[in-house]
Amino acid sequence: MARRIAIVEDEDAIRDNYAAAFRREGYDVDAYAARGPALQAFDVRLPDLVVIDVNLRDDVEGGFELCRELRSRAAELPIIFLTARDSEFDAVSGLRLGADDYLTKDISLPHLMARVAALFRRLDALKQPQSKEHRIRRGELEIDTDRMRILWRDRPVGLTLTEFWLVHAMARYPGHVKNRQQLMDAAQAVLDDNTITSHVKRIRRKFIAIDPDFDAIETVYGMGYRWLAD
Amino acid sequence: MTLKRQLLLVSLLTLVLPWAGYRFIHETESALRTGQQQMLAGTARAIADSLAKYPEEFPAASSSGRRVSDQIYGHALEARPEIDGYIDDWTIDRAALQTMRGVDGPVRFALGIFDQAVYLYVEVTDRHIVYAQPEAPPSGDDVGNGGRFSDGIQLVSSNPPYLENRFTFTAEAPGPIITHVETANGSTPEPTIHAQWQDVPGGYQVEARIPATLLGTHLGVVVFNTADDSQAPVRSSSFTGATPGAFVRSSPELTGIAANLVQPGMRLIVTDAAGWRIAQSGKLTPPDTGGSGIRSAWPRIIYDALVESGEEASLAEPDASGLEQQGYIVAALNGSESAGWFRSNESGTAVVAVAQPIRVRQHVVGAVILQQGTDAILSLTNEGLSRLINVTLIATILVAVTLLGYATWLSRRIRRLSVAAERALDGDQLRVRLPSAGSRDEVGDLSRSFSSVLQRLGDYNDYLRSLASKLSHELRTPLAIVTSSLENLEHEPLNEASASYAARARDGADRLRRILTAMSEASRVEELMQNVEPERLDLAAALAAAVAAYRDVYPDRRFVLATDLDTAPMRGSPELLIQMLDKLVDNAVDFSAAGDTVTVRLDRNDGRLLLAVENPGPSLPGRMRSQLFDSMVSMRPGSDSRHLGLGLYVARLIAEGHRGRIDASNIEGGVAVVVSLPGDNNGE
Repeated sequence: MARRIAIVEDEDAIRDNYAAAFRREGYDVDAYAARGPALQAFDVRLPDLVVIDVNLRDDVEGGFELCRELRSRAAELPIIFLTARDSEFDAVSGLRLGADDYLTKDISLPHLMARVAALFRRLDALKQPQSKEHRIRRGELEIDTDRMRILWRDRPVGLTLTEFWLVHAMARYPGHVKNRQQLMDAAQAVLDDNTITSHVKRIRRKFIAIDPDFDAIETVYGMGYRWLAD
Repeated sequence: MTLKRQLLLVSLLTLVLPWAGYRFIHETESALRTGQQQMLAGTARAIADSLAKYPEEFPAASSSGRRVSDQIYGHALEARPEIDGYIDDWTIDRAALQTMRGVDGPVRFALGIFDQAVYLYVEVTDRHIVYAQPEAPPSGDDVGNGGRFSDGIQLVSSNPPYLENRFTFTAEAPGPIITHVETANGSTPEPTIHAQWQDVPGGYQVEARIPATLLGTHLGVVVFNTADDSQAPVRSSSFTGATPGAFVRSSPELTGIAANLVQPGMRLIVTDAAGWRIAQSGKLTPPDTGGSGIRSAWPRIIYDALVESGEEASLAEPDASGLEQQGYIVAALNGSESAGWFRSNESGTAVVAVAQPIRVRQHVVGAVILQQGTDAILSLTNEGLSRLINVTLIATILVAVTLLGYATWLSRRIRRLSVAAERALDGDQLRVRLPSAGSRDEVGDLSRSFSSVLQRLGDYNDYLRSLASKLSHELRTPLAIVTSSLENLEHEPLNEASASYAARARDGADRLRRILTAMSEASRVEELMQNVEPERLDLAAALAAAVAAYRDVYPDRRFVLATDLDTAPMRGSPELLIQMLDKLVDNAVDFSAAGDTVTVRLDRNDGRLLLAVENPGPSLPGRMRSQLFDSMVSMRPGSDSRHLGLGLYVARLIAEGHRGRIDASNIEGGVAVVVSLPGDNNGE
């Protein structure tokens, strides 16, 4: 049975384009232009993944509201923000509300499809028994590529998908400097330098929250970042 | 002209004060003087009326018609002169001598009266004195006898209409001489007359004492001058016509009356119809030469300007010759009451004088002259003047100082305002509270208008700054429509031509996306700056690493890191600082040619770190220097879509976020961008 994706987007052309792309990938798509109709439909049936625009025409923060309500109904429901608002503040707000990813509309359709697929893969992996094959271990770090989870000293670090890919890209070859372009490619996102900087900063903060002595990510001035081997 | 100078000029208006004071004192002074004059005139009128009761005391009235110059005045002497042929011991001035023409030059003479005796003094200019022969006493009309002539003087006395007596003074030698009286009966020596002849260079002089009883009412002086004793002498006399003029003398009667009428501090002079002084009494109060007189230089000048100048004060004195010739007296003798005003600048003496005609049966027989010093007025004006000067001085200084202080305060407010406005403009902090904003005066208005102008300017600047990010934000949605449509299109069957068009459209959309990303970078950096948690870092080490990286990134440029510093500790965000350096290096690379050397320099100056990026290349045009670091200002030639003039703006945001300054300047053969950052000296 095909997975059902709900798109809440006020811009008809974009909504239709995304819907077409998802359908091409074999998903069932429900498209909504506003928060109200979307919530009514979700009362009847929850989709498997929701793509929300933050700015829903006159409902400026409507996407955030929708995210909050959905998260209260279904804790596990994957939610992706897809918006033109690229400010750091909005991204942080969206992720705090429990969104699994915050993407700007710069993202290309193939990248979007890959993200969605990855999210579904993670959902599937969580339902499967753990298999050791899809695990990478680097000292205290453990990367579960199936569930897209990262553990530091056996404690899970709550990373978003983008952050996961960034850590994954750095930690796969410890000691190698990854420049920003490489990190962008790894995260399958078009991000500018500052966004990478903010992401790395957030990642560090999340690790430090678990382990105050964390310093495995090194900034290489003028080049990029690298994961330090033990 | 500064405000201060303008107000100082305005303060000159206080000079009206002394002018007004001057007018006031001037008016007061002249009112007082007029009052005094009128009072004097009243007194003089009363005196004139009372003197009119003594018409016999004005003898000149009877001899009117004769010339005044024929008359001889008998000065009242105050001491008995010694008969020695000199006038030195007479109590009159030499100016009192009457003059007549002589053969060899002027003849001067005077008559005095003391104690029932008449004194005669004559000085004759004579080039060759001819003495009389001892055995031949003079006789007849001429001075000389038997064909022998000599120089000599005759005093002609008459009691019209009676015959006259002649007293002849000749000398056989200088010294005491014998006087002969010549009557119809012949010439006889007169022993009661004492006379002395003195030779002096250029002539001789004779002094004689004659008992008053020997003389009549009319007197004349005659001088004979001969070249030698064989020639008849030339005669010159003090009178014209056959008979001598009246002998005018002061009247003891009138003098007595005058002494009773005169008040202290006043001088009373009575003249006859010709103006001869026939009575005088009283003295003017001598001017107080002590305190009240103004002696120092500059108040004197003001004082002289203040008090109406009169005739010279010495002119108010009784005329030495006995004949009062002052205009106001002459006017009185012509029948009209008149007044005079005398003032001496040197002594400060000031005299008010009035002259009043004395009329007997409608005829003017003489005049009363009453004079009074004006010490009272003077001291009043003096006091007024010094007060005026003081008050004016204090007022002027007070006003000037006040205005100056006010001007200083005002101009300082305005200057502070303009400095604050300048600073706000320079520092790009347009939301400051300007000084004087709370004042309710015009400066406050000015400050508030300035504030609102700055506010609007700030709003506009903010608008410009946010324009890029707003624009990119607004354009992102339509761009997403385009890109997503194109990506969907790729999955549709297309013929070759359509596919190539779609590919081109994709390229264009990609470029558009990159531009939008660049445009929003500035606002991203601003957000980052607000959330940045400064950490300690070593800028020197960071630069070393970064410069090494640039060598790989830009293989066709050479990079030199020029620094003497081993460590350069500071606080900040290393990522952002490196991003700033990226922008500067990117800029430097763009403006230099392949093979050029880009120099990254780090120095420490006064606790601040100076980071410079230098590149060879074209220099900056002066007018763009200050705008170089503004949003969307690019100096790249042509249009390069990768650059929207945001790179240096981002660099500036980062520098200012680290409390630093960024500046660009031309160096020899190139351009240097210098960032000054605060160092962290607490470390190590």
